[in-house]
Amino acid sequence: MTLKDIKPGQTCVIVNVLTNNLRKRIIDMGLTNRTLVKVKKLAPLGDPMEILVRGYLLTIRKAEARTIEVTLVEEVK
Amino acid sequence: MSLRIALVGNPNSGKTTLFNALTGSNQSVGNWPGVTVEKKSGIYKKDNFEVEIIDLPGIYSLSTISLEEELTSNYIKNQKMDVIINIVDASNLERNLYLTYQLLDSSIPVVVALNCMDIVEKQLANINTVKLAHILGVPIVPITASKKMGILELMRQVEVLNHTKRQVHPIYNPLVESTIQRFTDILQDRFFAIRYFEDGEKAFTKDCVLKSKLPQLEEAKESEKEKHGIDFDMVLPNARYESIEQIRDEVLSKPLLETISTTEKIDQVLTHRLFGIPLFGLIMFLVFFIAFGPMGSFITDGFVSLIELFFQLIGQGVEAAGMAPWVTSLINNGFFGGLASVVGFLPQLMILFLFLSLLEDSGYMSRAAFIMDRALRRFGLSGKSFIPMLLGFGCSVPAMVSTRTLDKAEDRKLTTMIIPFMSCGAKAPIYGVFAGALFARGAYVVVFSMYILGILVALLSALLFKKTILKSASANYLMELPEYRRPTIKNTWIHTWERSKGFLIKAGTILLGAFIVIWFLSYFGTVDGSFRLLSEDEIEFSLLGQIGQFMLPIFQPMGVYDWRATVAILTGFVAKESVVGTLGILYGVSGDVIENGSALYPYIRAAFTPVQAYAFMAFALLSAPCIAALAAMKKELVSMKWFLFALVYEMGVAYLVAFLIYQIGSMSSGGILTIVFLLIVIGIVASTGYRVFKNKGSTCVTCSGCVVDKSCTRSELERKSNTDVTQE
Repeated sequence: MTLKDIKPGQTCVIVNVLTNNLRKRIIDMGLTNRTLVKVKKLAPLGDPMEILVRGYLLTIRKAEARTIEVTLVEEVK
Repeated sequence: MSLRIALVGNPNSGKTTLFNALTGSNQSVGNWPGVTVEKKSGIYKKDNFEVEIIDLPGIYSLSTISLEEELTSNYIKNQKMDVIINIVDASNLERNLYLTYQLLDSSIPVVVALNCMDIVEKQLANINTVKLAHILGVPIVPITASKKMGILELMRQVEVLNHTKRQVHPIYNPLVESTIQRFTDILQDRFFAIRYFEDGEKAFTKDCVLKSKLPQLEEAKESEKEKHGIDFDMVLPNARYESIEQIRDEVLSKPLLETISTTEKIDQVLTHRLFGIPLFGLIMFLVFFIAFGPMGSFITDGFVSLIELFFQLIGQGVEAAGMAPWVTSLINNGFFGGLASVVGFLPQLMILFLFLSLLEDSGYMSRAAFIMDRALRRFGLSGKSFIPMLLGFGCSVPAMVSTRTLDKAEDRKLTTMIIPFMSCGAKAPIYGVFAGALFARGAYVVVFSMYILGILVALLSALLFKKTILKSASANYLMELPEYRRPTIKNTWIHTWERSKGFLIKAGTILLGAFIVIWFLSYFGTVDGSFRLLSEDEIEFSLLGQIGQFMLPIFQPMGVYDWRATVAILTGFVAKESVVGTLGILYGVSGDVIENGSALYPYIRAAFTPVQAYAFMAFALLSAPCIAALAAMKKELVSMKWFLFALVYEMGVAYLVAFLIYQIGSMSSGGILTIVFLLIVIGIVASTGYRVFKNKGSTCVTCSGCVVDKSCTRSELERKSNTDVTQE
């Protein structure tokens, strides 16, 4: 499962960041292994997606989100 | 020179605010237009303590991807400063500390300025700064840059640190440290060892002496790789963020995760799934309406009449001084005439710059890019290129300057080259006169079609560049959405003024030179065998008029059969707003033709057919922009080669489009139908051929649209199909 498959409102944990042309930047911006990521929403045209990571909002295209492997975290209510 | 201090921090962390707070009182902000980046320098003075402050472009990491970031990174690598002030945004501690860690790896002393914006002031209570300073081993000074709080203490720490030169390196986990040690043994430099660990050979700049050790390093790297178990380039970032998470847990009394509520509420409206795009359109419309609508025109008219009055007074003085007639003419027509037409645009530009600053400072610009990114992607552009393009509707000059926010040089080039196609405010009077004269009822549709034509040519050009000469343009997109902030009056004013000042300086230097040349060409000529200064109504005999008549054959294929129109085109290169004015002079219409364009209608009806007029308008829209825009273009494109290419391309496109409009437009209906039929046939053949080719060529079916070929390796495909299976 990749970040692209996560629906708005869901939270996930990063397992691995695969090769893409922004890989180093993505990692430097805090998307390292075991990081908690919450998907906030999609842009009006469906792409890019807005995520909450390490306390700030980041927007990332699905092309890059596809290369970030994650596992879904069950909502605790 | 005295002590040199660099401000380093994440984009949007408040660096420039701090810079202004530090250098404010005796500000000597010098702009160094580097390649496409600018670093600012100023002086901080307190008693006997005087230091040079350098404001560097914001970076997230020392591993850089854009030119602008490279400047900062190289600056640190070359150790060009005595002390670094690292500005850390208190509301975003985790990501900001990542850069702090990288800076602490270097041997330059670091002071951390913990900046809390107004919104997060309350949060500072939640951060244990004493503990943070103890863990990191560096002085931490809480500041509020916008209110100049904590500045004195910050500079006191800088002074102390400059004497002690104390620098504590962060220590990573033993496994990571062993790898760092291995590289350090080879390089004899811990900082570069760590840079190599992260970036590989990219860590060394071209002329770096350490580069000779590369073979040795590569060998060490191969054996070190096996120890870590995860991708080598992730080892260090993982280790850093793990340490940062520990720090976060120790110094924060409550997590900051749920603090973005205000921003979230605003975004629920502004980036709403349905309302986001219409709202964006409305905001943009309002900006242009205020700047170029009735209000903007009212202010401009008032301003222009003031300037004209001022220049008239000087003009009378000059005439009264009794100098040679050509001196009087040069001053009144060359200097003041030209300057008045350009400076007259200042109020509208300032309104535009003001709104631009407001949109930027509040944080809305990034939302606009977020909303529009998808739509622009198929043209090889990213959401970030969108703002410069929109500004192009106002004036190309600020639009081109704002391309600096784009990531890569190629993306900046691409956007800069298509901006002139966006119909700028100065072109509007041309459409007004021609459409008004020849298309009476449909005038609005005709004018609107010009704007559409401009956008179409811009987008198609972007696509063409992307597919041919600028393949490396990435159109990358990965963008932080900053929290909304209330823009301060001071910062908005500084932004607006800095931009306006640039425009004024340009008007006073490059443009003035051009005006002198144009003045000479339009007011000198041979009448009855003698070369002399001409009066206003003899412009037909001027050198410019001669050139216009000489060049007429070139423009005939696009339907220009009147030398006056050729001259108007030529003067349009100085400023598009002078096209209509020139036509007015040449046709002998007295009075202000821009305000009262209908006086020109009969002459234009006599000289142009509707098709000819449409072709002329298209040429005015697409041809090379005015001198101010050309100067801006040269500055942003950097190299002369690219600049000349852009110039030739734009002229070529303008000529071609105008030529096609005229030639096709003047054909009989049978001829047009033939062409339409031909185009349909070509279209069908091409699309069939493309489909066949595409099916044959693509080996990468499951991962359509992958960014880099590498991302499509077999292992990933397998993994992908596995996950697909498990999902089902």
